[in-house]
Amino acid sequence: MFRQSRAIMRREISYMWRDKGLRNILLFGSLLGLLLFAGVYSHQRLDNIPTAIVDLDKSNASQEVITDLKNSENLQIVTYPDDFVQLKELIEKGEVIVGIVIPENYGKNVALHRQTRVGVVIDGSNMAYATNASSAVLTVTRSIGAKIGISTLIAKGIEPNQAQEAYQSIEFREDSWFNPTTNYAYFLVLAFAVNIWQQCCTLASCMNVIGEKGVSSWMQIRSSGVSVWKLFICKSFVHIGAFMLMILPVYFLAFEVFKFPLACGWPAILLFTFTFAICLHSLGTVMSSAAGNAVDSTRFGMVIALPSFIISGFTWPLESMPQWFQPLAWFFPQTWFFQGINYLTFKNPGWEFMYRYFLILGLMAILFYSVAALFTHGITTFFRRG
Amino acid sequence: MESIIKVSKLSQKMGRRILLNEISFEVFPGECFGVFGTRGTGKTSLLHILAGLDRFTSGEVQIMGNNIRKSDKFKRDLGLVTQEKSLFRDLTVNENLDFIAALKQASRADISEMIESYELNEFLSEPITALDTMGVFQRLSLACAMLNRPKILILDEIIKDIDLYSRNLILRELQKYQAEGGTCVCAFSNIDFCKYMSRIGWLEGGEVTLYEAEDARAEWSRQEKLYKEQSGNYHV
Repeated sequence: MFRQSRAIMRREISYMWRDKGLRNILLFGSLLGLLLFAGVYSHQRLDNIPTAIVDLDKSNASQEVITDLKNSENLQIVTYPDDFVQLKELIEKGEVIVGIVIPENYGKNVALHRQTRVGVVIDGSNMAYATNASSAVLTVTRSIGAKIGISTLIAKGIEPNQAQEAYQSIEFREDSWFNPTTNYAYFLVLAFAVNIWQQCCTLASCMNVIGEKGVSSWMQIRSSGVSVWKLFICKSFVHIGAFMLMILPVYFLAFEVFKFPLACGWPAILLFTFTFAICLHSLGTVMSSAAGNAVDSTRFGMVIALPSFIISGFTWPLESMPQWFQPLAWFFPQTWFFQGINYLTFKNPGWEFMYRYFLILGLMAILFYSVAALFTHGITTFFRRG
Repeated sequence: MESIIKVSKLSQKMGRRILLNEISFEVFPGECFGVFGTRGTGKTSLLHILAGLDRFTSGEVQIMGNNIRKSDKFKRDLGLVTQEKSLFRDLTVNENLDFIAALKQASRADISEMIESYELNEFLSEPITALDTMGVFQRLSLACAMLNRPKILILDEIIKDIDLYSRNLILRELQKYQAEGGTCVCAFSNIDFCKYMSRIGWLEGGEVTLYEAEDARAEWSRQEKLYKEQSGNYHV
């Protein structure tokens, strides 16, 4: 009995190994993805945002603003265009992202404690740049605003201490938890690499049933009388084992070499990934049992695997998706996985919170395997020739 | 004598086309039962039903007393060589023997015996896709089918278009198998192969007509002569 199981598993391993394309994708796909993304996000945050300043005032006050901007952590002053038209051209050509326009009479208005307006233009065509630029500019303008406010109060006869206290009576202290430096690499690199892994796994699982039934050697298996359940369990065991072996080097590099956050520790992340691998395999098995041939099965798999990461709410919050779509997103195992992995790596909220993620992925696996069994049992493949 | 295969009112439809129309026949132990017919007459469909590969529309098939709709037990005593190449394309000759032996729960000794009998030694390490002659492939297919020492062998066009050496070797082994009491059901489309059969089931238009081997040959000659005359001596 064990000889049969061993032989089926050995053959499945040799099949996966000898298929060079499949082997390379499974072995190197997600690993290369991780290295590539780690390289792309190696700088970890957006700083040195190219900035241009149009100083129409050329006063001491405007020089002070320029100095403050120069000292900003994330902005890099690269040019001083003469007017707004030149600034517009620079932004259109992509040479600068942020433009600051200090109006004429700025120094005079500040000195007279009149309201004045400094123009800030941000190139919104690149969302990542725009968000970071906006936050960097806000930090500088807040401090300039406070400085001028205090000096205005002093000019109105208020004691310097009182003026400062008046402005700083409420202190808003930013304290970013779980990813204190808002590091892009921590947030995105692992998720992108794991996304490649889950896509490879889904596509490989899509060959589970049709990979046997769709080829003529299925006749040898069928005529040998070997139990379909035994065949399925042995093949699945190999597939899920291979999926886990594929993710191990990715996790090792991510958590041990690149030192990405792993709040939950190794056992929890591996157990969660294992649960997801089973669920993913069950999803692929549904595709492969419903499809008429291997090509269709792969197409079905791609339809699920490719958009699932976007739908998962990892990069764009689920809460910001249309109301009607949100429940639909939770039907994808990938949504539970990517949400869960974010909680586990950054926060580790504990079993009381995480158990539902394990439970739902487990229940989905049972459901998908049952549907696959119904399809496989119900759809009879006739080899009618004469 | 009790039959080893009993087919009763077997029908098989493919879409609207009736491939087999309530056919009935029996095969007895030790017999080599030939299923003869031209292309598209349902020989392969019939053999696949007997091997438990395909479901069928209606009727009953009993193999060694098992209703094949209800039980798979008969497969333990079954060997199958399909018309389409059905060995594992990703494996070598030796690996195919090894894997199919494991599926059929045959022993290592059985594998060695088959390698010897079917003269496969020099091909063992070759991938089956690299086998250059159909004859060697059919020898390997039959060796795989024989691994579990089956009581019934189902063979679909096994000696069609193969080299004479392999053909003689296969016929020799089949003779030996029959001499030891084995039963064959063998589909073929070349009337010359009648001589190797005990009886013939001639499939045509969804019906089966049973003949002794010589009678089948005579019927073929009669039809050949008839159509030759009808077509004004133009040989078909």
